Amino acid sequence: MSLDITKINPHFEDVMPQEYIDLVKNGPFGNEKSQKDLGTFKELLEEHPLCAGCNLALAFRILVGSLPNPEDTIIVGSTGCSSLAFSQLALHNIHSVFGNQNAVATGLKTALRLRFPDKIKDVIVMAGDGATADIGLDMTLHSWFRGDKITTVMFDNELYANTGGQESGMSVRDTVLYMAPKGKKFNKINLPDMAIAAGCSYVAVVSTARTKPISDCFKKAVLITREIGPTYIQIYTPCPTNLKIKPYESKKVATDRSKSDYQFREHITDDAKKYLESLKP
Amino acid sequence: MYVTAVIDEEKCVGCKLCSQVCPEPNAIKFDVSKKKSCIISIRCKGCQICEVSCPKKAISMKQVLQKAV
Repeated sequence: MSLDITKINPHFEDVMPQEYIDLVKNGPFGNEKSQKDLGTFKELLEEHPLCAGCNLALAFRILVGSLPNPEDTIIVGSTGCSSLAFSQLALHNIHSVFGNQNAVATGLKTALRLRFPDKIKDVIVMAGDGATADIGLDMTLHSWFRGDKITTVMFDNELYANTGGQESGMSVRDTVLYMAPKGKKFNKINLPDMAIAAGCSYVAVVSTARTKPISDCFKKAVLITREIGPTYIQIYTPCPTNLKIKPYESKKVATDRSKSDYQFREHITDDAKKYLESLKP
Repeated sequence: MYVTAVIDEEKCVGCKLCSQVCPEPNAIKFDVSKKKSCIISIRCKGCQICEVSCPKKAISMKQVLQKAV
């Protein structure tokens, strides 16, 4: 997408909504923003129908606000709570069949490489834990095996929040949920280690307890994806509706988990490290 | 009846932490000239995350009885 598309026709400037003028003049198109600039500009995301205190919405908002190149970014989504926010997003996006998001992104990346060979186009997959780790695990893993240059972001709320709280593969063992009254019987899938083994150049595990690591890791991942290879980011986003907690307590849950078993960790290959250092001025 | 957040401008120091933890886009704006945050109450869902994460306790919740315009 060219930046000229967003420009306002001077004859219609007096009848355009004020928010649209703000988006074009101060928004993230053309000038890169990060999480610390949130609140000072009109964001690409608009009022979404997600619950009050939803940490997935918080993570989504930070990711969209810290895109390095929003005008040339295409986001592939999948079924789940995260897909509810896509219709309010001022970016190109595709909604795929449940679990198919990485396969769709592979085709999209190939088509973009043939159609725009000399332009940078970022393809980013944003999906929940059900689409990435349970139903779409084969598509996710095979896109990593093939080495497709895709950034995969997983919002890990550790359950199927959209359908009433069934256990997912990412739930912690012995978790009791609305639709899992006897508790989960097996361990949480260790997807970050699987990603490293499958050949991802950059793997990061973050949580919504602190917002700066989300923004920093995501920027690094998008830059590495352009040249080196696939990247994977896993974000812990507790769901206050299905964990039966008050909306404001989700912040405390994320902080507690980030200190115990969901600590921040990062894996980066030597090639990717060299590439990041070569980008520094 | 629902609740929205309100900011005490005398206590706000402009650290922008509230706008970084709010799950709602464009709900908390930062006034660059005054160096204070302000809340667009129509967009606020009343989740209180900003209230518990404000280091200066400048944010409190207010009950709104009338329907939002």
